[in-house]
Amino acid sequence: MKEKTLLKGNIAIAKAALNCGCSCYFGYPITPQTEIGEYLSFEMQKNNLAYVCAESEIGAINMALGAASVGAKVMTSSSSCAVSLMQETLSYACSDELPIVLVNVMRAGPGQGYIFPSQGDYNQTTIGGGNGDYHIISLSPSSVQECVDMTYKAFYLAQKYKNPTILLVDGLLGQTAEPCILFDNPYKEIDNSSWALTGAKNRPSRKIHSLEPSQNKLNKHILNLKNKYDLIEKNETDYEKYMCDDAEIILTAFGSLARAVKAVVNSFREKGLKAGLFRPKTLYPFPYDALKKIASQAKAIIDIEMNLGQMLRDVKLGVLSDSKVYFIGKPTGNWLKKEEIIDSVENILKENYANI
Amino acid sequence: MQIFSTPKSIKKDSSFSFCPGCDHGIAVKLVAQIIDEMNLQDKTIAIASSGCSVTLYNFLDVDCIESPHGRACAVATGVKRAHKANGKEMFVFTYQGDGDFASIGLSESLHSALRGENITAICINNTNYGMTGGQLGPTTVLGQITTTSPMGRNIEYHGFPIKTAEHVALCEGSAFSARVALYDIKNIINAKKQIKKAFECQLKGYGFSFVEILSNCPTNWKLSPLDSHKKIENELSKIYPIKVFKDITND
Repeated sequence: MKEKTLLKGNIAIAKAALNCGCSCYFGYPITPQTEIGEYLSFEMQKNNLAYVCAESEIGAINMALGAASVGAKVMTSSSSCAVSLMQETLSYACSDELPIVLVNVMRAGPGQGYIFPSQGDYNQTTIGGGNGDYHIISLSPSSVQECVDMTYKAFYLAQKYKNPTILLVDGLLGQTAEPCILFDNPYKEIDNSSWALTGAKNRPSRKIHSLEPSQNKLNKHILNLKNKYDLIEKNETDYEKYMCDDAEIILTAFGSLARAVKAVVNSFREKGLKAGLFRPKTLYPFPYDALKKIASQAKAIIDIEMNLGQMLRDVKLGVLSDSKVYFIGKPTGNWLKKEEIIDSVENILKENYANI
Repeated sequence: MQIFSTPKSIKKDSSFSFCPGCDHGIAVKLVAQIIDEMNLQDKTIAIASSGCSVTLYNFLDVDCIESPHGRACAVATGVKRAHKANGKEMFVFTYQGDGDFASIGLSESLHSALRGENITAICINNTNYGMTGGQLGPTTVLGQITTTSPMGRNIEYHGFPIKTAEHVALCEGSAFSARVALYDIKNIINAKKQIKKAFECQLKGYGFSFVEILSNCPTNWKLSPLDSHKKIENELSKIYPIKVFKDITND
């Protein structure tokens, strides 16, 4: 059994990436994720791995595209406004079916915003700013331990489905040090010898491209991608439900904010109020079915986010009813505290549910 | 017409889809011949980009990836470095147009040259955006009429064109930078020699090597192939000199 160590979220991600064989990192500095690139710059050079201080995030994500095309495990990391610059290539990587791991340690926006913590990139991650029918697998850790777990998982899912995967980390989590166990990568290696660009030796040459001038072929390609996304939705949807089985009030939250919400649930339970927490661990695919099942027996669903209600839309799609879905949130600044959330929840209940 | 032979590195079932009389066909053929002569076919990864150059992977029988518009040198950097991290030296080159290399991708291109990235870039300069129907590009010369400079490029309104090979030569990380043309046999022979030299620079690990190929665009220039070649010989090569600007192997 490995020992617990005290690690910042950003460093935990960097260490986990190295542990599971990441051989290429390309990045450009931006707060609050810079420690990932700083940590890897030394470790990767020391081990003769590929590390480039890219000229821009556009350069970085395209170097990642190239490295992914040869079958390497590749990661880049960035933050919010700079992830905006990478949207074009993420769309290409989806069409090219190339595995890239992108870590987004969120800051507040829109525009340059500032380095305050926020969860404002839910829409950017799950909907995206690229063109065409595509999806990016997105994982949302709520602790430093989950930063480790989900970094391993991000590499695994990216390779397994040949699709970009985003690890969406709250700025708060990237900068917070917590005890965690840096266990070995639990996932098996994926064989990419059937498609990687390794030189046409003793086999026909390969081409990786998204341009397709034949309408039939392009249609077929996009439908094939859709089949893959259906499979991802079927196999990889992941969530945590805490005290949801008998809950009358379901609180939904993602990322590190969900931990404050869990404390809120405990407080309500002590008071005799049947509350529960529902936390998506995969933002795409979103656990609509699981939420729908839980919500059917609940009287109120209250979504809590450090933004102005971005996951709220997915929550409503899961619940399939506007009438009992409420929202608590703010765009940035200090993380919502347990007491603030309790007050807001009680206000919502008082205004709408006389008998709870 | 009788075909005597086709380079081994040209796909057997392919035929060029470039416009009639376009120099792209000659450029791709030269690249394929050199890949054959240097025995590089199974060690090569080519990067195609957006524009007329993108279809390279339909003709060249080597592993190939298409890059987003302008990012070919960044993609090539990733390909080259990832293989190196895996202990493999691959031969990596980009095949781009001037809009790709010197306009939208100027940052990726020049930074690859500045880093001394050990890759080769081939840039077809036909002084306009060919695939979209001939708009003003970074290399459109002063006075040149295009669909977006209907009264001709002028300094006050459009600004100056870029001399790409000269810029690349100024980068400390570049090992080789040359401009060649394909308008007659003498120039085609020279072009082949310079591309070969650029490839050798990479194989020897000297750093970034670059060949700008001054090419025609008969369709968008609205000239016959012959007249378009005359234009290169008589006008364009005076503005864009056919020359080796940097060759560290000669130093």
